[in-house]
Amino acid sequence: MTDDKDVLRDVWFGRIPTCFTLYQDEITEREAEPYYLLLPRVSYLTLVTDKVKKHFQKVMRQEDISEIWFEHEGTPLKWHYPIGLLFDLLASSSALPWNITVHFKGFPEKDLLHCPSKDTIEAHFMSCVKEADALKHKSQVINEMQKKDHKQLWMGLHNDRFDQFWAINRKLMEYPAEESGFRYIPFRIYQTTTERPFIQKLFRPVATDGQLHTLGDLLKEVCPSAIAPEDGERKNQVMIHGIEPMLETPLQWLSEHLSYPDNFLHISIIPQPTD
Amino acid sequence: MWCGPGLTSNFLRVGARGISGAPVDILLKAVGDTPIMKTKKWAVERTRTIQGLIDFIKKFLKLVASEQLFIYVNQSFAPSPDQEVGTLYECFGSDGKLVLHYCKSQAWG
Repeated sequence: MTDDKDVLRDVWFGRIPTCFTLYQDEITEREAEPYYLLLPRVSYLTLVTDKVKKHFQKVMRQEDISEIWFEHEGTPLKWHYPIGLLFDLLASSSALPWNITVHFKGFPEKDLLHCPSKDTIEAHFMSCVKEADALKHKSQVINEMQKKDHKQLWMGLHNDRFDQFWAINRKLMEYPAEESGFRYIPFRIYQTTTERPFIQKLFRPVATDGQLHTLGDLLKEVCPSAIAPEDGERKNQVMIHGIEPMLETPLQWLSEHLSYPDNFLHISIIPQPTD
Repeated sequence: MWCGPGLTSNFLRVGARGISGAPVDILLKAVGDTPIMKTKKWAVERTRTIQGLIDFIKKFLKLVASEQLFIYVNQSFAPSPDQEVGTLYECFGSDGKLVLHYCKSQAWG
């Protein structure tokens, strides 16, 4: 269906207007201007911020520069989480642009993973893709692919090439003709209000009676507090890629169309904005 | 802190986060010429991370801090260092345990 293919493109080309400001305590030789950038929702911070790094390093001395890291209102931003997830979870109810503070010192070891090179991002990304396929296809599809196909997935993401990426990724979205969907749906549910980093469990897209499970079914099963109405009104938003899909949406469809390039559905449960 | 080897009816639940559900059984398997752990079965707290597990194995095997250690699930993917063991057990455990392969070099890419 043409409509469904459009969804894939809309997801891929989603952008977040962002303002990067250097942390005030960083030592500079002259004033550092803020840097504005449209960030791809489906990518990773350390993959798309070379220009940001260059911009601020121009006004700093080499000896004052260590590993770059980013923070929003005091919360260190995990580069290994997709950008869109970070925004939805932490800043979706704030006014645009998204304000991110850039640091070159004091790397918060307890909160962030190091990202020494692009290879680190590639390894992390590919590992997620493999984990997703372990859930969807018992790793059969990803293992049948050649190394060059894996590389094409990464290069597609790295170079923002939708067609290049989906030429391979479409195979990861297929399932046997005799089935109604994947074996299990790769998903992670995030909430800022809990201690746990995220919820990830085994969940089938189809019930034993053949009915397709919905987003609402998933939440009821693994995170019921997220959608429990309080005094008749839901106190949370369930957000993927900046939108709130209807809870009646079949999970299989969501997995095929609203997954991130790593093939996971990253779902944010956030408090209803109070305005 | 780690619970003792073998089966787990009596275990110590120790850790910075305190009690967080029953520990899960892990079976560690060496890959290639990586040294083999004398004790392979461990009961591990659900909230323990992969990084925590890596640090523990390295200490147990007396590896130098600078030496790398990779951990794989299903002999196919290396989970993120901050991934919790409990989640991996829920999704990839079988027969009451989670099998993890460890290696000093990258085994499965």
